[in-house]
Amino acid sequence: MGRLPETISLSEIKKVVALAKLSIPDIDLEQFFLEINDILSHFDKLNRLELKEVSPTSHISWSQPPSNPDEPREWMGGEELFSQAPAVIDQYFIVPKVVDKQEE
Amino acid sequence: MNIDTVKNFTVEDYQNAYKNEEISPTEITQLFLDRIHLLDPSLRAFLTIDETGALQRARELEEKKFGEAEFPPLYGIPIAIKDNICIQGLPTTCGSRILSNYHSPFDATVIEKIKKAGGIFLGKTNMDEFAMGSSTENSGFGPTRNPFDPNRVPGGSSGGSAASVAALEAPLALGSDTGGSVRQPAAFCGIVGLRPTYGRVSRYGLISFASSLDQIGTLTRSVQDSRALFSVISGQDDRDSTCAPYPPFSSSDCLPEDEIKKMKVGVAKEYFSTGIDPSITQRIQEVLNILAKEGFEVVEVSLPHTDYALEAYYIVAPAEASSNLARYDGIAYGYRCHHPLNLQDLYTRTRTTGFGKEVLRRIILGTYCLSSGYYDEFYLKGMQVRTLVKKDFEESFEKCDILLTPTTPSMPFKFGEKSHDPYQMYLTDVFTIPSAMAGIPALSLNCGYHQHLPIGLQILGAPFQEGKIFSFASFLEKILSISPPDIGSIHSKKEVL
Repeated sequence: MGRLPETISLSEIKKVVALAKLSIPDIDLEQFFLEINDILSHFDKLNRLELKEVSPTSHISWSQPPSNPDEPREWMGGEELFSQAPAVIDQYFIVPKVVDKQEE
Repeated sequence: MNIDTVKNFTVEDYQNAYKNEEISPTEITQLFLDRIHLLDPSLRAFLTIDETGALQRARELEEKKFGEAEFPPLYGIPIAIKDNICIQGLPTTCGSRILSNYHSPFDATVIEKIKKAGGIFLGKTNMDEFAMGSSTENSGFGPTRNPFDPNRVPGGSSGGSAASVAALEAPLALGSDTGGSVRQPAAFCGIVGLRPTYGRVSRYGLISFASSLDQIGTLTRSVQDSRALFSVISGQDDRDSTCAPYPPFSSSDCLPEDEIKKMKVGVAKEYFSTGIDPSITQRIQEVLNILAKEGFEVVEVSLPHTDYALEAYYIVAPAEASSNLARYDGIAYGYRCHHPLNLQDLYTRTRTTGFGKEVLRRIILGTYCLSSGYYDEFYLKGMQVRTLVKKDFEESFEKCDILLTPTTPSMPFKFGEKSHDPYQMYLTDVFTIPSAMAGIPALSLNCGYHQHLPIGLQILGAPFQEGKIFSFASFLEKILSISPPDIGSIHSKKEVL
């Protein structure tokens, strides 16, 4: 795949990658950069359409979404839910420290 | 009793045999388990085979006695379930290494319904990771093979389910369809694939890819079986707020034969443009000629925004996926990277190493399309095009009862043929995506073969018109003499390279 005109720059892709909570090494990022720019180049076609008066459809809906009554319900909870966690003590998920002393 | 005895059985045939005590659930379940053990080492349709659970369930069913009126509609029917649908106690991996150790603590609504209807679960089937793909090559656990040609893909993302039904490893299967992931593998595997009206089947317990597009669908060897399975799984569910306030499908929604012949069949010129394999165009045209001879009125319609639907989908679906997949963070379930330095490192390394390339690509694309400064340029436009695509269908259904299109632009392709160019892979869904964007029902039916590979024909209907689709599809199945895939032609363990 040859170099195409960029819709998204490499530095922008790096920002998006960080936003998505990913960490892709530079050596792999180059391939994503080419592929995503190729895909984005096809989106340019949508600019041919006159969309000013067109309302967006975020999802297909046939009725007003139902609401649940504001009442306490049984919680599945407990062993079943926590049994899937990689690290748990009692009913707490164990994670590395959130704040590094150096960042404070 | 051997597999040849049941190769053309419908659900109704199984039910009659059970009622007459000609067969038992244990016998039938063991028959299919044996078939899976024979074929699946090469076919690789299944990720989990629940032999113990299936046989236990069969024995439990045998201990119960049912009268004619209360005979469960799926009594003793073995079913394969795509691995993004939760079954309590079984792995639910979504074809991803990030969920390779996840066992669902609950049943999806469709699973509860099938259990109540007497169904038996054989296991969980292979899929493209998080339903992102059109070939099952994106599975984190290796691809499934096409039963008609082991060097070709079965389609995706419900490739495992489609292959298992085509090879008669299971008489029925469930899949999920976001942009074509039930219909396209149905076409590639020569079986019937239904994508229901959006909201007609509960998504509770279906692991989300794109919430406004995902629908659970049926993969079966006949239209009659699709109807039978859809009747069980459809209907409103309070646990899914996007579920339509509609009762379960009933066969009384289908049309009598004299009414079927009055249906107007729409053909949209945009679905017969260049870029389609000529063998597909030729066969679809032959079918249209047959329909005309049968007295059907064939009406040309236009769906002018068809050409923009794929691009709009590949904005909207990845955008929704980037949000839905944010939950895979290594905290409460699933894979966690080893020795994280801090929380940020835990998140980023878990996700980057746990997801495959196509999933990463779509998360990056979706995140970009939703990000500040680009939301209007991409995501808003995608939603606006969706409005136009939906309107095209609404207008066309004022002129016809159903639309006929090819299901796919290409025949089943070889492994690796499209996996190096993401956009080429995306194009395989060009005919299935528009109906998904509009939320309308669609069914793919095998309409013939070219060089021993199946060709799929797609039937689209207006919202909640599955009855019309089933009626027309049944009629077509009869006049084209469509039979389930000939299992004699399916390669066995011995024949695989």
